[in-house]
Amino acid sequence: MEKTVATLDKGTICSSWNYSGQRMATGSTDGTLAIFDSVDSASSSFTCSSRSRVHEASIVKVVWVPPEYGDAVACIYADGTLSLWEEVVEDSRPLQWKLCKDFDKSSNQVLDVQFGVSLTGLKLVAAYSDGHLKVYELLDPLELKNWQLQAEFQNVIDSVSKFGKAACLSASVSWSPERGESQQLSFVLGFNSNIMQLNSAKVWEFDQDHQRWLPVAELALPEEKGDPVYAVAWAPNIGRPYEVIATATHKGIAIWHLGLNPDLDGRLSVEKVASLSGHEGGVWEMEWDMSGMTLATTGGDGVVRLWQSNLNGVWHEQAVFEPTI
Amino acid sequence: MPGLTSDLGETSDVPFSSEVGPVVYPLRHGLKPPIAARFSISWSRGNSLRVSGFQSEADDSEVVRGKVVEVKLGSGDGEIDHSQWRRIAYGSVSPFALLQSRKNSMVAVSKMSAVSSPYDAEWSDYVMEYSREIGFLLGGHKLSLSVGIVDTKTVLKKVEEPTCLKAAWELMVIFYADHKSQAWTPEQLVDWLADYDSLLSGTQPTVHSKLVNFQKELASLQAIEDDDNYWEAISSVLAVGWLDVAVKMLRLHGSYQLNQVGSREIENGLVEAVAVLISKMPRMRLELAPGKLGEYFGTKPDFIKAWEKWRGQISKLDCSAFWVQCDHRQTREGLKNLLQIMLGNANILSSVTCHWMELHVSYLLHIRPFTMGLENMKNLAQKCMQFKPVSCPHKLMTLLLGILGENTEVVLAECSRSFGPWMVVHAAELLAAGNTQAEILLHEERHNLGGISMEELHRLVYAQVLSSHALTWQIGPIYLASCTKQGMALLKILLYKQPMHHNQILLKNIEICRLYELHKVSSKMMKIAGVHHWKHGKKGSGVFWLQQARDEIRLSRIAQQLFDFVGKSISDESFKQWEGLIELLGSESRIAGGLEFLHKYRDFKRSLQQVHDGIATNRAQKAAESLILLMKNPSTPQRFWLPLLYDSLKLLNWQEHPLLNVSQTNLLLNKLQELSIGKAMPFFCLSLLPLNALSSSRLLLFEVVSFSFIVEKLCT
Repeated sequence: MEKTVATLDKGTICSSWNYSGQRMATGSTDGTLAIFDSVDSASSSFTCSSRSRVHEASIVKVVWVPPEYGDAVACIYADGTLSLWEEVVEDSRPLQWKLCKDFDKSSNQVLDVQFGVSLTGLKLVAAYSDGHLKVYELLDPLELKNWQLQAEFQNVIDSVSKFGKAACLSASVSWSPERGESQQLSFVLGFNSNIMQLNSAKVWEFDQDHQRWLPVAELALPEEKGDPVYAVAWAPNIGRPYEVIATATHKGIAIWHLGLNPDLDGRLSVEKVASLSGHEGGVWEMEWDMSGMTLATTGGDGVVRLWQSNLNGVWHEQAVFEPTI
Repeated sequence: MPGLTSDLGETSDVPFSSEVGPVVYPLRHGLKPPIAARFSISWSRGNSLRVSGFQSEADDSEVVRGKVVEVKLGSGDGEIDHSQWRRIAYGSVSPFALLQSRKNSMVAVSKMSAVSSPYDAEWSDYVMEYSREIGFLLGGHKLSLSVGIVDTKTVLKKVEEPTCLKAAWELMVIFYADHKSQAWTPEQLVDWLADYDSLLSGTQPTVHSKLVNFQKELASLQAIEDDDNYWEAISSVLAVGWLDVAVKMLRLHGSYQLNQVGSREIENGLVEAVAVLISKMPRMRLELAPGKLGEYFGTKPDFIKAWEKWRGQISKLDCSAFWVQCDHRQTREGLKNLLQIMLGNANILSSVTCHWMELHVSYLLHIRPFTMGLENMKNLAQKCMQFKPVSCPHKLMTLLLGILGENTEVVLAECSRSFGPWMVVHAAELLAAGNTQAEILLHEERHNLGGISMEELHRLVYAQVLSSHALTWQIGPIYLASCTKQGMALLKILLYKQPMHHNQILLKNIEICRLYELHKVSSKMMKIAGVHHWKHGKKGSGVFWLQQARDEIRLSRIAQQLFDFVGKSISDESFKQWEGLIELLGSESRIAGGLEFLHKYRDFKRSLQQVHDGIATNRAQKAAESLILLMKNPSTPQRFWLPLLYDSLKLLNWQEHPLLNVSQTNLLLNKLQELSIGKAMPFFCLSLLPLNALSSSRLLLFEVVSFSFIVEKLCT
C-alpha cells in the first residue's frame, strides 16, 4: 500500500512539502537545507537536487513560503533564530539558494512560524519562547528581504492580566486557509508553557478598521484553559457554514466548530464537537486533508492516525498506520 | 481517503457492525528499532499522505537512513490493478456526465411543465443505458459462459476472472435500475450466481469450487458414473440452475459409449430422459442467452401451465417401471436425486448446495419461482442462512442483504466501504433511479456534513481520490462540477495544488478555469507561474504570465527593478536584456508613465552607444537632444537625473563644439541643483555611481555653460 518516495539524508530531522507536493525541503542537525525534486510532475520519486549548509545550528523546522512569493522557505534553528532562504537565478549565475532575510536575533527563541496570504500581501506570524507573537508584513511582493513588523502581542484574551516570566517549550500556529475575499485574515495559536493564560488556543483576527489583531475566540473549555497546547490545525473550509479547528493537549485531540458571524462583542461562537484520545505520549503534528474532512495526526507513540466524522457528525478514528520494519 | 462509514446500528437489521474500529495498516519505513524518533506527515494532492520517518540521533548507522513513504487511502483492495482502475475512471466519466446532463434537462423540463415525476420510461431507459455502459467497462463481455463443458474432459472453461466490483454493480442494476425486469428478478439472481459463484469460493466451498475439484478428478476416472462425486456435481449444478452443464455432464455417462449402448439401453434411456427433462425446464424470464437450456415464458400463467406439465412429466418418469430394470445403482440413485431436485425437494437442495446464496437460488428455481418483492426474498435469504451459516460474510453478500433489507444507508455504506468511492458515486445513480426513499436520503442536505447531501459528499470524496494521481486529476473537475454546494471550492483547492511552473499543466488549469468561470483562480495561478519564472531567470515568461494575471503590483515592481537596473550600467549585454523586457512590458498597463520613460531612455542609450562606438557628431547631437527630452519629461524619475548626466559626460564634453545651448545647459544645471537639495529624498541613491558623479557633472556643466555662452555671444 505504501511506496517510498524519497530517502532522506543522515541527520535529517524535519521536512516540509511545497504547495503542490512536488518539492520537499528538509533540515538536518548540521544545519543543512536539502531540496528534493522529481524528474517530472507525474513522477512520485524524489531525489536531492540541492544541499546547502545554511546555519551552524540544527534546523528544527522548515516552512514553505506561499508560491505566489517564490520558491522560498523559512528555517527555524535550534538556537531559536529564524531566516528565509530563496531559490533564485541572479544575473547569469546558476540557480542557487540564497539567504534573503535573517530575522532579528533576540534573547527569545522562535518556536513556530507560519505564512498567511491576505489581500494586502504576505504576512508571517512567529511565536516566541516568551509567549509573544510577532506579525510581520512583506513590503515588496517580489523581494522577500523587506519585512515590516506589523504587530507584537501576547497570546492572552485579556491584555491587562499580569503574570510572571513566561517560558514556552513549544508553540503551534495555523492560519485560516484562504477563503473568500470578504473574510478577515485570522489564525489560531496555542502555547505549551508555564503560564496558564498563554496556553489555550486563541483565534486572532485582524481588525481592518483599527489596524490591530483581536482575539475573537478561545478554544478551551473553562476547566481546560490552562492546559498546554501541543498542536493546532485549521481545516480548509470548502463551504461549511462554520470553521473546523483541531487542537491537541495532553488530554487528546479536540475538534471545534467556530461560528462565522461575530456577536456584539466581536466574539465568534465556539463548540467543542469531539474529544478524541489515541496518541500516547502526546500529539506532535496535525494536518487536514484538502477537503478538511480527514485529520491526520502523529504523536509520541510513533503512530500515524486518521480521524473523520461519520454521517451523523460523530468523530472517530478511521485508520491507523503502525510502523513496522 | 477511506470510505465514510455510517453509524447504522439502530436502523440496520442485517448483520452490519456499527462499531467498526479503525483499519490498521502497517507502515514500512525501514528504520531500525527503536522506531524512528519522529514522524512527520503531509497531505499531498487528494488522498495521498506522505509520512517522513526520521532516524533517531542515537543511531550512528550509515546504512539506515530515514525515508518518506506515500500512502494512498481508499484506492481499492488491489482486486483491480492501477491501469485498469484508470481505464474504469476515465471510461465512466462520459456515461456519468451524460446522465447528469440528461437529469438536469429533465428537471428543467419538469419544472416548466410542472410534471412531478421525472422517472418515466425515458428516464428509466437512460439509467439502463448508463448501467450498461458502466457494466461493460467493468468487464467487457458477459461472463455466463464461465461454466460449461467444451470437450468431453473439460467441465469448466477458463474465461476472464470475474471481479467483485462487477458483481456488485450487476446486483445494483438488477435491484435498482432494471425496472422492466422486476417480475423476473429470481431468474436474474440465478444468472448472477452463475456468473459470480466463483467469487464466493474465497471464504467457503461453493458449487463452483466443487466443479473445479471434480474437473481435476475427471481425467483419471475410467467409469465416470461409478463415482459419487460425478452425481453430486450434477445434482449441485442442477440445483443452482446451470442446466447446460448438468446436461453435458449427464451425457458423459458411460452408457452413451457406442460399445455400451446395446447392453445398457434402459439405463441410457433413463439418463437421456432426465437430460431431456432438464433441458426443457420452464423458466420464468423474458429471454435466454443462446446456447442456454430451458424453455422461457414471459408471463406467469404461461409459465404455470408449462411448469405443471413439466412437473407432471417428471412425476411420471419418477414412477416409471424402468427404474427397476436399471442395474447400475449409482445411476439409478443419482438420476432419482436429480428428479427430486427438479420436484423441489428441500432437503436434497440443502444437501447439494454449499453456500446459503446457492441454496437461496435453488429455492427460487425449484420451489418458489414466484417469489416477488424484496421482503419475501429477504425472508428466504434469512431462512437459507440458518441452514448454511457463515462465520465471515462475503462483501457481496453483505451488499445483497442490505439491498434485500431495503436499507439504503447500509447499501451505500457497504458500497463505499467494500467497493470504494468510485462504486458509491456511480451506483448512487442507480439507487436513486425510481426509488424515492433512496433519492431523499441521497439528496437531503445534512447539517452534520456541513450542509451538503450524501450524494455530494461521496462525489467530493471520489474527486479527491481522482486528484491524488497525476494521470486522473483532470477528470476530478467533472465530478466536482456536479457538486452544487462545495464542489467549486474543492476544485479551486485542487487547481491550486498543481505545479504551475509546468507550462502544460498551467495551460490545462487555465482551460479548466475558463470552463468553470474561475477567473480569479486562473489569475492567481498565472501569478504563481509568473513569479516562478521571473525568479528563475526566465524574465520574459515571468513578465508574460504576470501580464496575463494582470498583476499590476508585481509588474510595477518589475518596472521599478528595471529602473534600478537601468541606472546601474550601460554594458552591451545588460542593455540587450532589459531592452527586451521593456518591449515585453509594453505600454498598455497602468505603469505606462514609467514605461514611457523606459522607452525614451532606451532610445537615448541606443544613440549614446552609437556615439561610444565611433565619433559621429550628428549622432552625438541626437543623443544630446534625447538627453534634454528626458530631462524635460516629467515622467523621468528624479533618481535617474544623475545617472543620465553621468552617462552623458562625454556628450557634455564634446570636443568639436558644444552640443547644448545655454538654456539647455541651464536646465541640466537646475536639475543638478534640485538633486543637491533633495539628497534626503527617499529614492535618492548614489551608491551605484562614483562618489564624485555629482560634483564632476556639475563642474563639467559649468564649463559647458560658460563655453556655450561664449559661442552664442560670438555667433550673435
